[in-house]
Amino acid sequence: MREEKRILKSTLMCKSNKIFLTLFLIFLSCSKLFAQECNLTLKGQVMDESTNTPLSFATIFLENKEKGFSADENGVFEINKLCADSTHLRISHISCETQTEYLVIKRDTTVVFFLHHHEELMNEVIVHGDKGEVSTQTSVTIDHDLIQKSSNKNLADILENIAGVSALRTGSGISKPIVDGMYGNRIAILNNGIAQAGQQWGNDHAPEIDPFVADHISVVKGVSALAYNGNSLGAIILVEPDDIKKEPHLHGNINYIFQSNGLGNTLNGSVQQDKKLLSWRFTGTLKGIGDLRAPDYFLTNTGKKEADFAAQFERKINTQWKAKIFLSSFNTRLGILKGSQIGNLTDLNQAFTRSEPFYTEPNFTYKIESPAQQVNHQLVKLTADYNYSKESKLEFTYSGQLNARKEFDVRRGGRSNIPALSLNQYTHFGDVANNYTFKNGGFLKSGIQVNYVNNTNNPETGILPLIPDYIGLKSSVYSFYQLDNNKFFYEAGARYDHQYLNVVEISRTLANTIDRFTHNFNNYSFSSGIKYQNKYLKWSLNAGYALRSPEINELYSFGLHQGVSSLEIGNNQLQTEKSLKITTGIDLTFNNKLFVQFLGYIQEINDYIFLRPQLEPQLTIRGAFPVFIYDQTKAGIEGIDLLVSLEPVKKFRLIGKMALLKGENKSDNIPLVYMPPANFTLSGNLALADLGILKSNSINLNMKTVAKQRNLLPDQDFLATPAGYTILNFNYDSQFSLKGKLVKMSLKCENLLNKNYRDYLDRQRYYADAMGINFSLWLNYKF
Amino acid sequence: MKVFYYLLASLIFIQSCKKADPVIPVQQELITTIIFELIPQNGGPSVTMSFQDLDGDGGLQPTITGGVLAANTAYFGKLTLLNESALPVDSTNKDILEENLAHQFFFKASNGLDLSVIYDDFDDNNQPIGLSNTVETGVPSSGKLTVTLRHEPNKSGTGVSTGDITNAGGETDIEVDFDVQIK
Repeated sequence: MREEKRILKSTLMCKSNKIFLTLFLIFLSCSKLFAQECNLTLKGQVMDESTNTPLSFATIFLENKEKGFSADENGVFEINKLCADSTHLRISHISCETQTEYLVIKRDTTVVFFLHHHEELMNEVIVHGDKGEVSTQTSVTIDHDLIQKSSNKNLADILENIAGVSALRTGSGISKPIVDGMYGNRIAILNNGIAQAGQQWGNDHAPEIDPFVADHISVVKGVSALAYNGNSLGAIILVEPDDIKKEPHLHGNINYIFQSNGLGNTLNGSVQQDKKLLSWRFTGTLKGIGDLRAPDYFLTNTGKKEADFAAQFERKINTQWKAKIFLSSFNTRLGILKGSQIGNLTDLNQAFTRSEPFYTEPNFTYKIESPAQQVNHQLVKLTADYNYSKESKLEFTYSGQLNARKEFDVRRGGRSNIPALSLNQYTHFGDVANNYTFKNGGFLKSGIQVNYVNNTNNPETGILPLIPDYIGLKSSVYSFYQLDNNKFFYEAGARYDHQYLNVVEISRTLANTIDRFTHNFNNYSFSSGIKYQNKYLKWSLNAGYALRSPEINELYSFGLHQGVSSLEIGNNQLQTEKSLKITTGIDLTFNNKLFVQFLGYIQEINDYIFLRPQLEPQLTIRGAFPVFIYDQTKAGIEGIDLLVSLEPVKKFRLIGKMALLKGENKSDNIPLVYMPPANFTLSGNLALADLGILKSNSINLNMKTVAKQRNLLPDQDFLATPAGYTILNFNYDSQFSLKGKLVKMSLKCENLLNKNYRDYLDRQRYYADAMGINFSLWLNYKF
Repeated sequence: MKVFYYLLASLIFIQSCKKADPVIPVQQELITTIIFELIPQNGGPSVTMSFQDLDGDGGLQPTITGGVLAANTAYFGKLTLLNESALPVDSTNKDILEENLAHQFFFKASNGLDLSVIYDDFDDNNQPIGLSNTVETGVPSSGKLTVTLRHEPNKSGTGVSTGDITNAGGETDIEVDFDVQIK
């Protein structure tokens, strides 16, 4: 009998696009089938995806036999006496993410499985899978397990796991990411390739994305970022679902997370199936979290309710055409600490002196009252890929978004149920991109994009709007070229955007006239980079010049921001920001034992837009308010991010992360506000032996230290910056089999010592301590 | 591909690039004006102090009128809050009386100004409100009288019922200073 050998490469990343990219089926020979004899053999090896070294004593579990087999020290396994059958396989290894594969065994078969070992070594090519999504600049990715484990939190909180990313918060419920000192209008967040449209201008407006939808979340810097719409001067955050797995059976996932602080319940479920006609996946998430608790008191009115839904459909029409539809709906109601609702500076000063916030209730509740936010975000995305020749692919994309945001304040005369801010924004986006691969391996991506935004205030508020109604139309072209030349990788690209704004403002004069303004901005971006890579070293250098036109809030906002007690006034004379950024990255790998990643950057921004405090306060019927007017200056930001991962002894890994950054307003010789202070994280991860039915056990102790922000003058903030702090977190991960299916679990304790602290980047710090101790339990059931 | 272009183009141009006129919201909650009317209890000329900021926060500076009071005199004090941006002019007094448990005025004379204010009106729990009050002047002096309206104060806080704002908390809806001379 002749034997058929099949080699199947697969990664342990639950990413079917990657899996199928790296899935090579090599038929070495063919044989006749003697299925009924049940004498087939499955042979193979389990390897580390990032280092190509064997994974000793990995486990291979055959679901049809309900039996596990162990590989030897070279990761080699052999399973005999198999009948011709199809089965699901589970391949697991200590400290690796368990992978499920579907295999039809008709003949003697040889398989190679590539497992994802640890996240710091994640290979960009494997993560992004596609050319054009890889870049010279270090991009960091958070994988599926970590996302699912922590999806009771916000997107920005999950991103904080990356060195160099911090979160700008309004309490624990609302957070947005800061990457290398850039936040808000200066970074773009892309949900499934579409720039998240919403009222991103407010520091208390969190991105409306359910992290559960994501297979991986990456921070991308460098040339390939040019392909994305978004007014970005810094990084781009990609939240990406994976393609639907090529599995003919119905499969799914159930996640449940309980958190003790806020007695929160998060439930998520997803099902998917690959049918010939249509592949589909549905994901749904429900969250209910009550009042959180600082070590000494409840943070009254900080609960959260959320209901999200997403659907994904894929259809391969023929060899040339492929179509995808993605729908998502995000709906949330968030409470804001009642004690942070203040009227004027006197109230603010009084709030500072309190040992516990005003309105603190002695009892826990799930109830959310004013002040609160209610946000509904709907997204539809249609894409069609047309492979019109071997070298070329056209991608067509349309997306529509509808964002409705309502913010509620405590109001007089029974008006607390009438929003104080009510905005509806809809967006249409169209993109046509061409991918071309040259004979020398060079890759060229070019595209045109149109983005239309229509933002309308709902007059139900009975308050003159903070942001005027407007229409924005952006037309863009971009192109970039990448060449992978053995050890060197080069790339260069450019982008041009024309931004048109049509604004109608209600004047603040007595008669409330309607004033019209139009703006036309031209933004150019250029970026280029080089990367050298060998077995031990990866070095990259990237330079980019980008322009960012002022956003609507910078041009036209007028009013009082709740919770900060200051009058913010836009400036419609603002010019575009011009940024030059140079970045260099060095990755060192020694034998999977030591991994060092260093990133250094210098960014110079001319006409940096910021809020300049005015000398004269504004007198109102509620007292005097400090006034801030948008202005421009020359700014410089420089910093380093460092990650060291070391395995001193087997099964034990130490990971250290550090981010240092300095931002200067160079014209005035003063620091920039809201720059993350120096922060360090040290964690130790120990893989443990199996405990009865509990497999793949590991414990992790994590220490996070955030230094005091000393680079700020006393008159740049209402209050001195808070002291530095260190918190401890503990994690226990395990998995077990339940009726042949895999159940993963994680027991986590955050702020283990229940420490009182306040974070400089949390605007709730004026009023209350941050969240105290929190136990959470994550359960994941795969079927 | 052309079809896609046309689709895109039509989609964009169906939407006008000129934003329609917004509906100007009716600012019912705004307080533009506070009038503090003082009538001597034993006869004599009455005094009216006022703070008026018709265009709301920002824009034009408010107009503030102080007052000259007679020494050693008791006045009936009456506060009137108006929204003069609305037509007809709206009085905020009725909102305060309706939500009397959630509102309280506080009066503070700056150092040197010899003046005290006593509450004459009370809420459903018999705690002070302050729309009606008695202002008693002492020896000739001058200074500032600060009138504060707190929304959702802690009326049971220490000293709050006697007019001490220290433990009142809540959100400030009004905080105005009047220049007062006692002659």
